[in-house]
Amino acid sequence: MSEATTGPTEAGASAEPDFLKVSDLHAGYGQARVLQGLDFTVARGEVCAILGPNGAGKTTTLRALCGMVRGRGSVTLNGTELLGRSPEQAARLGVAHVPEGRGTFNDLTVEENLRIGAHVRTGRRRRGRAERAAVAADLERIYGYFPKLRQRSRQAAGSLSGGEQQMLAIGRALMLRPSLLLLDEPSLGLAPLVTRELFEIVRAVNEEERTTVVVVEQNAQLALDVAHRAHVLEAGRLVLSGPADRIREDGQVAEVYLGVSVRAGKGG
Amino acid sequence: MSAVTEVLQQVVEGVGSGAVYASLALALVLIHRFTGIVNFAQGELAMISTYVAWQLVASGMSFWLALPVTLVVSFAGGMLVERLVIRPVRNAPELTTVIVTVGLFIFVNALAGLIWSFTVKDFPQPFPDGGMDLAGVRVDWSTLGIIAVVALVMGLLYLLFQHTSVGLVMRAAACNAVSARLSGIRVGRVLMLGWGLAATVGAVSGVLVAPVLFLEPNMMGGVLIYAFAAATLGGFDSPVGAVVGGLLVGVAETLAGAYVDVIGADLKVGVPLVIILAVLLMRPQGLFGRAAVERT
Repeated sequence: MSEATTGPTEAGASAEPDFLKVSDLHAGYGQARVLQGLDFTVARGEVCAILGPNGAGKTTTLRALCGMVRGRGSVTLNGTELLGRSPEQAARLGVAHVPEGRGTFNDLTVEENLRIGAHVRTGRRRRGRAERAAVAADLERIYGYFPKLRQRSRQAAGSLSGGEQQMLAIGRALMLRPSLLLLDEPSLGLAPLVTRELFEIVRAVNEEERTTVVVVEQNAQLALDVAHRAHVLEAGRLVLSGPADRIREDGQVAEVYLGVSVRAGKGG
Repeated sequence: MSAVTEVLQQVVEGVGSGAVYASLALALVLIHRFTGIVNFAQGELAMISTYVAWQLVASGMSFWLALPVTLVVSFAGGMLVERLVIRPVRNAPELTTVIVTVGLFIFVNALAGLIWSFTVKDFPQPFPDGGMDLAGVRVDWSTLGIIAVVALVMGLLYLLFQHTSVGLVMRAAACNAVSARLSGIRVGRVLMLGWGLAATVGAVSGVLVAPVLFLEPNMMGGVLIYAFAAATLGGFDSPVGAVVGGLLVGVAETLAGAYVDVIGADLKVGVPLVIILAVLLMRPQGLFGRAAVERT
């Protein structure tokens, strides 16, 4: 389906090319079968962008990875099967999903939102002084990435602007210290400048913490600037895969966005 | 006794009974907030908890030891009810859950009758007789005791929700269940905890009211109506509203009974119904509730 190109452009690729391995993934809602058998891998420390037109199955792919929708096939993270698990189990395995529309806890303060992000960790370990110190250090780390959140730490999340809420959602996900960060349409409804800032932060997080990221995005240009690899989805199948640089230069991406099927015989 | 002290006397009585309504309303609000369900069986759960306390006292335990035991039993019972009765219909339409709680009401009521019979039982008054005189207004120790216990319950709930990590997790799950699960919170456990807490708070109301109303399986029926009025008035999502609503309903009931001749003692139960109707017509979200409640 997708050509297995490995090239020197794959910055971020590590010794674990199969850190996330998706094989023959099918998923859907009720009768509607959205994903028709996806195969791709994401290396540890890589940023992977999933692009494609509306209704291609981008969001469904992320939801299958984190257990929000049931999938068939196989998805392994560091060798552990993720399919068949609930979202809370997936979170406990280190999968942090930032859903479309942000999903902040609007009644809670900014800081409480972030503390909830660390819940899995504090719940797992002894709630000792060391763990409290670790959570405090992580709060500092998040506030370092998102200085605006520090200013608003006592404010209710519901009172934040859209961009700040998206930052908070990502910050909360990072409090989990995830091994896999899933971002669903982070640019949705945000001003271009804010979106650019967000993606710069995602890049910084990836570079500093080697967090593996899978980002679904309508804004291909932005996503490709940050991503190492990209996959283009159309009608539930991968139609194009490769290093982000190459996908960006590939005129066919534009075609996909116009809804024109590329490469007859590949889209099936 | 001057007219003013007479009114104040009625207000004190009203606050006393209002505190009981407040604690049952608090139980209703807790469950509604955490599960989106209006639990018609809340009063019956409180009633059966009160029977547990009565049984313990009747078998020789001191009241102040029987009380914590009863609260623990109620907590476990509430969690069990959520797991066995409510969880299976969690994704069902609202009407289904309403009917399930009504069914639970009838079941618990009949169960109590079966075990303890429908004859009225004397429930020990935990507070000493007598009272004190406050500028001509007589305040019974029992009234003060009830207010103190309800205030204590409120304070403990506040500490739990605002200052513990369990409380934070519970608030998060109530606020946005999907995001809570994505953060690794086991929402099912939170729902069980919510039911356990509500049953415990409800049990407090049953134990407080039993010495006044005498214990029998239908004891909480009337209280439930006042609690519904209190929760509606305060806002079904607001614990503070439940308490304020409870006190207001209690005072309104007493004053109406004393000063509105048409109402008298017999028609007092009409007061909460009028309150429910008026709130739903004029301010459906209640005094402290939010106009639009999103639940996904």
